[in-house]
Amino acid sequence: MNKRKLNQLFELARNEPVPAPPEDFAADVLRAIHREPRAAAPEALSIFDQLNLLFPRIAFAAATVIVLCVAADWGLTAAGMPGLSDGVSQISAQWLLTPDEFRL
Amino acid sequence: MNDDAELLERIRNGAPDDFAAIVRRHQARVFAILHRYERDAHKVEDLAQETFVKVWRALDQFDGRAPFEHWLSKIAVRVALDHLRREKRRQNEVGLPELGDDALDWLRSDDEKSGLDGRAAAELLDLAMRELSPLDRVVITMQEIEGRSVKEICAATGASGVAVRVRALRARGKLRRALEKLMKGENEQTQAEPTV
Repeated sequence: MNKRKLNQLFELARNEPVPAPPEDFAADVLRAIHREPRAAAPEALSIFDQLNLLFPRIAFAAATVIVLCVAADWGLTAAGMPGLSDGVSQISAQWLLTPDEFRL
Repeated sequence: MNDDAELLERIRNGAPDDFAAIVRRHQARVFAILHRYERDAHKVEDLAQETFVKVWRALDQFDGRAPFEHWLSKIAVRVALDHLRREKRRQNEVGLPELGDDALDWLRSDDEKSGLDGRAAAELLDLAMRELSPLDRVVITMQEIEGRSVKEICAATGASGVAVRVRALRARGKLRRALEKLMKGENEQTQAEPTV
């Protein structure tokens, strides 16, 4: 197989007629793409999806608040002042469970 | 703004049925590309459909800096490359088809002007190209049959210019050896057959 014969083979293959696409090819493609919508089209997020997306931030904020409360309570107790838990029980005793309410 | 750009704009703005116009406009080109790598018309149709579905999925990535048909051709070549890789694995299991008489006669003949029609030549090349790696086949097909430049081949395959040149050179050598092997193999087979 010499170089000239190989080139001739390429030349002959180049002239091969290409089969024509079927008449309804475009319609087939359209049906196929209707079966699978483009990934780029964004869908509206439900409230649960939004909460799901925000969950790491919410969890981090909640953990921060808990840590701050514990630290403040520990700090106040160490300083000899009434802790946060004392304050909370005092408030609940005054506002929610006033002694007068149970008096007949 | 050319027609493709207008159509693409309409599709992006929520008129997906206009994609059919894009398909009709470019389907001949896609079929021509894929037919170089697959002889079966039904498989070519499936591959063409796969190409257009991929185009549809990636439509938002087309930035319009290059002509749409270049971008589309690139996707078609990638689809063909994936197909060749799948077929290469399958080929090891089912073996190769037989070579036609016309092609065999042409291979044996010393007369370079002896006739071989385009279809038989393409079948012969297809058979010989099965000896090449999928990427080598794409490179040599684009360069020698489609007449593409090295730059275009680089863009379609993602290979560097040097890699394309080296692959093309190596593929030509492999192809010549494959054709000689085919000729020799067929001769041996013919000689082995008892004459009636």
